[in-house]
Amino acid sequence: MFGLSRLSYETQKKIIIVSFLVVPLGLLALFAYLPVLNMIWYSFTDWNGYSAKEFLGFENYKTIFTDPEYFRVFKVSLYYFFATFIQLAIALYFATILSFKVKFKNFFKGVLFFPYLLNGVAIGFMFLFFFRPDGTLDTVLTAIGLEGLITQWLGNPNVINYSLAGVSVWRYMGFNFIIFLGAISSISGEIYEAAEMDGANRWQQFRYIIFPSIRIIISLNLILAISGALSAFEIPYIMTGGANGSATFVIQTVNTAFKYGKIGLGSAMAVLLLIIVVIVSSIQKKFFGEGE
Amino acid sequence: MNKKLITLLLSVLMVLFLAACGSNDDSSADTDDSNGTEGKTDETTDSDLLPYEQWKELDPEEIEGDLVVITHRTDIVDSVYQDYKAEFEAMYPNVTVEFEALADYGGEIMPRINTEDFGDVQYLPIQVPIQDIPNFFEPFGPIEEMNNRYLGVEERAVNGTVYGIPIALTYTGVIYNKAVFEEAGVEELPTTQEEFLAALQLVKDNTDAIPLYTNYADAWPLAQWEGAVTSTAGSEDYYNVDILDDPRPFDAGDPHYEHYKLMYEVAKRGLIEADPLTTDWESSKVMMNNGEIATMVLGSWALEQIQDAGPNGDDIAIMAFPSDAERTLFSMGADMNISVSKFSDNKDAAFAWVDYFIHKSGYSVEQAGGISASVDVPRPDALAEAEEAGAEFVMLTPSPEDKLGLLDEIDKESEVGLWLEDEKQILIEAAIGNRDMSFDDVMNRWNDAWEEAYNKIVE
Amino acid sequence: MMKLKRTLTSVGKYGSLLLGAFVAIIPIVAVFFASFKTGTEYTTTGPLTPPSDWTNFDNYMRAFVDGNMLTGFKNTVIILIISVIGTTIIGSMVAFVLHRFKFKGSQYILGAFLLATLIPAVTTQVATFQIVHTLGLFNTIWAAVILYLGTDIIAVYIFLQFMDSISVSLDESAMLDGASYFTIYRKIILPLLKPAVVTVFIIKGVNIYNDFYTPFLYMPKSSLQVISTALFKFQGPFGAQWEVITAGVMIAIIPTLIAFIFLQKYIYNGLTSGSVK
Repeated sequence: MFGLSRLSYETQKKIIIVSFLVVPLGLLALFAYLPVLNMIWYSFTDWNGYSAKEFLGFENYKTIFTDPEYFRVFKVSLYYFFATFIQLAIALYFATILSFKVKFKNFFKGVLFFPYLLNGVAIGFMFLFFFRPDGTLDTVLTAIGLEGLITQWLGNPNVINYSLAGVSVWRYMGFNFIIFLGAISSISGEIYEAAEMDGANRWQQFRYIIFPSIRIIISLNLILAISGALSAFEIPYIMTGGANGSATFVIQTVNTAFKYGKIGLGSAMAVLLLIIVVIVSSIQKKFFGEGE
Repeated sequence: MNKKLITLLLSVLMVLFLAACGSNDDSSADTDDSNGTEGKTDETTDSDLLPYEQWKELDPEEIEGDLVVITHRTDIVDSVYQDYKAEFEAMYPNVTVEFEALADYGGEIMPRINTEDFGDVQYLPIQVPIQDIPNFFEPFGPIEEMNNRYLGVEERAVNGTVYGIPIALTYTGVIYNKAVFEEAGVEELPTTQEEFLAALQLVKDNTDAIPLYTNYADAWPLAQWEGAVTSTAGSEDYYNVDILDDPRPFDAGDPHYEHYKLMYEVAKRGLIEADPLTTDWESSKVMMNNGEIATMVLGSWALEQIQDAGPNGDDIAIMAFPSDAERTLFSMGADMNISVSKFSDNKDAAFAWVDYFIHKSGYSVEQAGGISASVDVPRPDALAEAEEAGAEFVMLTPSPEDKLGLLDEIDKESEVGLWLEDEKQILIEAAIGNRDMSFDDVMNRWNDAWEEAYNKIVE
Repeated sequence: MMKLKRTLTSVGKYGSLLLGAFVAIIPIVAVFFASFKTGTEYTTTGPLTPPSDWTNFDNYMRAFVDGNMLTGFKNTVIILIISVIGTTIIGSMVAFVLHRFKFKGSQYILGAFLLATLIPAVTTQVATFQIVHTLGLFNTIWAAVILYLGTDIIAVYIFLQFMDSISVSLDESAMLDGASYFTIYRKIILPLLKPAVVTVFIIKGVNIYNDFYTPFLYMPKSSLQVISTALFKFQGPFGAQWEVITAGVMIAIIPTLIAFIFLQKYIYNGLTSGSVK
């Protein structure tokens, strides 16, 4: 190949490092970091998306920090945050079970992954159907004699965020599940065999073989899930548009920027969100380690 | 018809006159160059000719180009719009029309506006501050001229120049089901707020129908209420003129306060759907047609859709928004304004399309349930009936020149969002007890935000 | 005693699996039913009431024809293939370099990818739009392709995880035969990454297939519509015909389902021949 093999491995290494990274890092710079830099610049202006920009300094940030309304919505993120852990636990549980001998294995894998295949709009509509009075959920609860639990799943302001976080779990669990499954299947079978010989039970196999080997992936899933919780957007946006106390920080940001034409202020909110997400992720990384 | 002829004659005369004067040597004299897109950039500055009519002097054959038309009608872009395209291309054989349908026009056009790539024909986005319109759009003509021919063009005019024509004018009222009213024992159509509430109560007591369906979950129908504020005010001067003198326009007695008081009361008295969060617009039309809903506050555009949603179209009618004011008003509100991009390479074809769309397509009546902006097009029957019954259809008085766009600016800055649904949802939440706020708390919240923005902007 | 415990465990296991399957499937059943209902039937019957006529394919016809779904499929397939192949190449290159070589700054690169994933895309769209436009990609399929390629931490991570299980001794023995690093990547690593490639294919593929935001914003031309935007044809400011949308959703699901079933076995087979069965 290109006469590469005639070069020393040291030289080859340099060539490979540069040539293999130039395109990915170029794309990264262009489509992730450049827009962010732009956004940071907007956040110091009064831009409305159409007119000339005027530099304001930290005015927008002051506006946000002097009005507790802006931070109140982070309370809603907590629901998604806790739902995330439930979601990961369920995904890990099913991935582990289905890595071993089970009847109808492929059927179960397919079904558990299935919700992730649907598009967000379809999901929003399905669950409107699901939570409606006398809808799917009420029908099922009545059938199993739990009609005492029935409430207005979205109309009740104390329940709405549990319902929406539940939809989020339903939708994304399949994604974590498939990633865990892929990771677990990369563990060599011989290790299990050896463990079985030593009489390790399933729990021990999970604890001492599976868990350590998929640390990287668990760590990634955690970071993604936490940042996902902080920037929860699609499900509440499609289902309730943020009404009845279900608005998340990103919904509020999008409304500020696009509904009220305050791109500058919205950008400042987005910058703050990014800073918060990065901080939380680093804390998580510290606690969990990098699997190194 | 003859009006158009006169216009044409006038413009021809104008051209001859100007050519004779030689004051304008490279614009209209150029019209015989087969490529009608060159040398047409600055003729608007020093010519009295209406820019949007320049193309009328050309042979239809001479108008050419690939036209990109942006629309918000995702629902009919592949059906009705294709008929428009066929009809238009038959008139102008050298033009090809391509559509881009945007589901969320305001949201999707914004990033594009700054790239000069936003189609040849589009709408004036309501998000663009009025004074910035000339930076992006092609002028149509002076307001004095345009006013004689079109309704509602003054609303987004800048410095006496018009940049768009409303694709339709619609009015807001209460769409109701006659059969349900009859069953409930409502003898006379309610005209005041009190009568209206009493009628809804009768519906609740005597029928299984939902008295008033808010469509809270879809949210945008709540913003429809704003179109009827003028009915509550009882004056066409309130909306763009009087409101601007009041830094706190949501005090008791103010039109907005009284107007939304009704929304609050209806919800508080349990005269709305049981679970507002799971409403569905599409179903609501069928339900209303079947007599499961008595009333909805909507624009006239929805009347036909609800009539067609089932077998009982004859039961569905529209009445004026109940108001304690002396006059019974329907205010005609302009729908989106169709416009032409300043950066278009096919301006002749673009203006030809605008002309076709406004005058010949029939869009305003057939697809928007309103009336045409063109004064030449006769009004639909529904209006005549209402007028006989004593209702007036009025156009809003535009803001004074020095306060153009001010209302919009305060509205955005304060985030009250008069034409948006967010605060109305909060009002309903307060009314049904999901929020710990009284009606006055919500109004004061609006007042405070408005006042702060007002003082910031009006200095 | 031992036997009882085993029975209990397996009851628990299957019970939980069945419960999971039920929860996953029940909301979808409602959609499936709705897609066969007429407009009136849809609004007047309950969600779990089966349709009166299972052969009512009108909604499917309408969704397919009016939604112009054939064009949608064509564009989606093109975008999907290019993006997924690109993602695989880019992701595996990055993973190879980061896993096999230690060099100055290598630890920051993964961080840079991770940080990029944390940016909520909705908030940066105005700036991104200007970049796409400057590159002249607006209203071309390349706009979507390049944005899907742009930042993909998930692929990189999955490949990294798999690289762990590919022994470095394979590289070393190839080097003894005089193979270049590029040959090692091409001939040894890539083929061994196959199960990971399938996982990436599926995850990425689903993401692209269901994403409507990017095509909406960057490819509004009718001739460039994709499957997810085709669904929106029926939902505009003037209401939504849900029975047609549900049929469209079902049509959109079918190819994904086929692809998924077809690729399943790759995902679940372990790397080594003695895989867990």
